[in-house]
Amino acid sequence: MTKNTFLLLLLLFSNLYAISQNKEKLFEESYNLLSSMTADESSYNFKKAVFSVENAYLDGNLDTTFIYKQINLMHVLSNSIINSKKLDYAERDKDVVNKRASIFSILCDTLPLSIDGKIYKYEPFGYDFNDVFGHNAPENLFVSKLVKTHKGNCHSLPYLYKILCEEIGIEANLALAPNHIYIKHRSIKDGWYNTELTSRMFPIDAWIMASGFVHVDAITNGVYMKALNNKESIALVLVDLANNYNSKFPDNDGMFILKCTETAIKNYPNFATALILRAETHYKQIEKNEDKIQRDLLFEELQKEYEHIHQMGYRNMPEDMYFNWLVSLKEERSKYENKKLNTFNKN
Amino acid sequence: MRNNNLLVIRNLITLSIVLCATYVNGQSIMPVLPEIKPPLPSLYPSGTNSLLTPSANQPSSNDNNYQRRQNQQIMNEVDKNEKLREQTMQSVQSDIEELRSTIYYDLPSLSKMPGSKYYRDVFDQMLNIDINNYSVKDVNFQIENAYFENQIDKEEFDSTIKQTADFILAKMKERNFDTNSNTAKNFMLFEFFTQPMQVKGFKQKHFPIKYDFEDYWGRDNWAKMFVTKLLKTNTGQCHSMPLLYLILAEAINAEAYLALSPNHSYIKFQDEKDKWYNLELTNGMLTVSSFILNNGYITAEAMQNKIYMQNLTKQQMLSQFYTDLATGYIHKFGYDEFVEKVINKALELYPTSINANMVKANYNEARLKYVIKQLGINTQTQDGRNKILNYPKAIEILQQMQSQYKIVDDLGFQLMPADAYEKWLGSLKETKNKEESEKLAKQFKGTIIKFKN
Repeated sequence: MTKNTFLLLLLLFSNLYAISQNKEKLFEESYNLLSSMTADESSYNFKKAVFSVENAYLDGNLDTTFIYKQINLMHVLSNSIINSKKLDYAERDKDVVNKRASIFSILCDTLPLSIDGKIYKYEPFGYDFNDVFGHNAPENLFVSKLVKTHKGNCHSLPYLYKILCEEIGIEANLALAPNHIYIKHRSIKDGWYNTELTSRMFPIDAWIMASGFVHVDAITNGVYMKALNNKESIALVLVDLANNYNSKFPDNDGMFILKCTETAIKNYPNFATALILRAETHYKQIEKNEDKIQRDLLFEELQKEYEHIHQMGYRNMPEDMYFNWLVSLKEERSKYENKKLNTFNKN
Repeated sequence: MRNNNLLVIRNLITLSIVLCATYVNGQSIMPVLPEIKPPLPSLYPSGTNSLLTPSANQPSSNDNNYQRRQNQQIMNEVDKNEKLREQTMQSVQSDIEELRSTIYYDLPSLSKMPGSKYYRDVFDQMLNIDINNYSVKDVNFQIENAYFENQIDKEEFDSTIKQTADFILAKMKERNFDTNSNTAKNFMLFEFFTQPMQVKGFKQKHFPIKYDFEDYWGRDNWAKMFVTKLLKTNTGQCHSMPLLYLILAEAINAEAYLALSPNHSYIKFQDEKDKWYNLELTNGMLTVSSFILNNGYITAEAMQNKIYMQNLTKQQMLSQFYTDLATGYIHKFGYDEFVEKVINKALELYPTSINANMVKANYNEARLKYVIKQLGINTQTQDGRNKILNYPKAIEILQQMQSQYKIVDDLGFQLMPADAYEKWLGSLKETKNKEESEKLAKQFKGTIIKFKN
């Protein structure tokens, strides 16, 4: 009897063990995919990268068929928008600019749609004020959640925007601000300009610069406001993967996190979030270390890490401050609106 | 590509040389150029017509293949000839155009203009300067003096600076400040610009230096931006005020730097605790970085490329002086190859200098306009603009201009209109900025008192 129970227990545990290993395997696979994208530019695919991370967190249960179908629908929609309305823009890059405008419309505008002679109202994507940092559930930051519910935040909205741009064959650069992601584009007529999806407008750089939350050095060093290239964008996704892993396996030994952050930092050296996550993980590991001499040495190392982060110009921005700042954009719209872009702005 | 057409071209060249010669000889009959038509193969050579569309009634595959091959061959031949003809026409056209009259692709030299010599002399002298050890006072004086054709008295200028420096040092001693402290020296300099000042033993009373709103960009009178003008009138603007500050800092051995922002320059210095201060001399206030960033015309790219808000090194400052020399020359005489020479030197010292890159872009534009005018190209219409395609040398100049403008764009430059600039400068007087300035001034003063004695 006892022997049987023991066997049963053993079976049960090994089974559980296998499941948890399986779950971890998905994270490993996602990491390998992302890291291969940074190593070989030709395998880069932002859509794949993002959904592999979300799929890993969802234990492989992401309904990619549905998501890809929805994205395809938006692709079709974008084509019909391009055909039905043209911007008042005449430079050589007008095709690209019109394509960008179509993606912006899909995310931000209410559109009348004619399907089989019937007119439908297309509802744009909205902002979900609930859990914008994904503290309660990382899924709240997911693009798949945004596609399903049409509600997202400053993480999923720019990601989806970038995915859609790449679907229709144009580029979009992600850019960072404290606790925030937005889009940067460059056009012949207007140079670099910002696309802000949460407040659906095109703010000038002073919006972030003069906020008072960003140190000048952080801008100079490209910690913020830099138009991120593809590798740097994958670095962002790598940190998402690490954060999801932490949330899924809170008692992990930190090795997977360090692997993710190292690769992220290699591809985007002044990426503050990755540097901080790495330092925090080091801190957790040091705390567990029993050897006092070794611990002191490691602490010294850790101090250097934090010093470096500070020197880059990174300063912590409290989360409620972030909200006030985000709202300020709507309130002070006229002050921060890019007046050159009158072809886009609509009130 | 030309080899094949050499013969045709050579014939044409001799022809056009003759034509030119008659023109030059003053015979006013406008020669009519012969129409050039190299033998053009007809697209469908007679006899092959039936081969081009193989009839479906003839299924003989051997025949068919043969026909197809032959057709292909013929088509290739036709394409080749057509290409050849186009190439010939193009090169011939450009040869004719170039020979028809002499086109000057370089701007005419202005060296014969009275007074331009002074600028060339200053440039030659500047080339011998030790980049890491030169006098800001002397270089700036030379540049201003070139504008006045060496009519200003250097000795008088030097003695004014010396007296002012002595005055400031005496005031420091009177106030019991540490004369070795960089912070204390900068504090005194800042007071000199902004406060009335009197020292025992000195006859004259000093009044704060005021901002001169009239023609502050020196558009009507270039000398409005000069330090010599400032000393004469006790009023200045955002070019002369920081420069005088640096000249006086040099005289009392204080460390301070020039920094740039759109249409603007100001002073930066570091206190003993490595804290940086921004001094806005045009309205005598201390500013925080966010005030400068808030002018709305500084892009993230401009910051990443470090074109604004950086303390200029001695070498970058020298580059700035070369740019000053070039802009003074342009204002007085105009654009010529001398401008290019000076600005290339400025860029050699400071490749990402926004001011030098702008001057170079403007120079390239002036050169292109000069060439386009000679060629009689109408830039208003597409057809007119296409005409430039006949002139390889002009295309090169156009491309030079475009690539220079691209450099300026890539640096993150954005044009700040004059009214936006004035509004921004005026906003310093807003309560929020005033309070910030007063707070900083207190900190500033606080640092000094510690260094007293």
